[in-house]
Amino acid sequence: MIKTIASIFITLGIIFGLAFYENNRVNNTFREFETVLTSLYNKTESGEVTYEDGTATERFWENKKNTLHIWLPHTAILEIDYQLYEAVGYLYVRDYQSALPKIEILLGMCENIPQSYRFSIENVL
Amino acid sequence: MIVFVATLCVMRLMGKRQIGEMQPYELVITLIIADLACIPLADHSIPLLYGLVAILSVYFLHQIICLLDLRFPAAKAVVSGVPSIVLNKNGIDDAELKKNNLDVSDLIESLRVEGYFALDAVEYALYEAGGTFSALPKKNYMDLQKSLPIVLIDEGKFDDKNVELTERDRQYYLDILKQNGCTLPRTLVMTVDGNGKAYLQEKGEKYRTVDLAWQKQLW
Repeated sequence: MIKTIASIFITLGIIFGLAFYENNRVNNTFREFETVLTSLYNKTESGEVTYEDGTATERFWENKKNTLHIWLPHTAILEIDYQLYEAVGYLYVRDYQSALPKIEILLGMCENIPQSYRFSIENVL
Repeated sequence: MIVFVATLCVMRLMGKRQIGEMQPYELVITLIIADLACIPLADHSIPLLYGLVAILSVYFLHQIICLLDLRFPAAKAVVSGVPSIVLNKNGIDDAELKKNNLDVSDLIESLRVEGYFALDAVEYALYEAGGTFSALPKKNYMDLQKSLPIVLIDEGKFDDKNVELTERDRQYYLDILKQNGCTLPRTLVMTVDGNGKAYLQEKGEKYRTVDLAWQKQLW
């Protein structure tokens, strides 16, 4: 009986611990990425952006996405990869007007993805 | 490998019953775990963690049900079910059989698996909550099953193949039913062995054995 009760609390602790850690980790990563993307967006809008800014954002994302693979479905990460590579491609040819909507999509994803995988009643049901 | 090790650990933590005799909820949990363990293996876009957390959640549910089982007998009856006595001193309990979605032939088959061939050789027979079958034989059960009984009437219907084996026709058995105050539609079961010993039971009535006084042993 004591073993069963203990195992219930241990399991519950692990599940909630993992959920809390995942929530924090994903939120923090996307918050940082959002900051980087916002800076890229502002520079693109004002025309001060360079191709190096784009590749720096790419490198930042490459570093972060390795750990995100543990927490998020790989398809969600692939979608960000796709949009980011396209945006950087437009920056390379200096087509800023086409790059802006792509960065906007990425900013939207930074808000939506953490919410989609957040530990909440609406996501559980 | 991670999913394999995690599933193995969870199955070991759930105890021996998960591997052998299972309660209905344990079977459900085992089926779900098997499915959950496959998802991250089959779909590479899903992180392993999703499968592991799902397995852990099912283990958590299992432990909760185990706790309810141990603490509250009423909850145990609801979750795991109760044993069902399908054969008692009065013979076959038809209502109990129906409650478990079984028929007389299922009972006879279960008895044969346990080594009891004659219905009157058994004092009690029951299906456990886990689905296993247990039978308590009569003291002299070996004397009661000297020849293999075959089913002639099963829930009001003749088994013509078996009737033929007895070298008699339907009318012969209808007369026997009549002599014993039974009618065919009301007959739950009638078996006869090679020596002409018949086991006869009407629906909702106590069984009786009838010696058909055959001149020779047929099988």
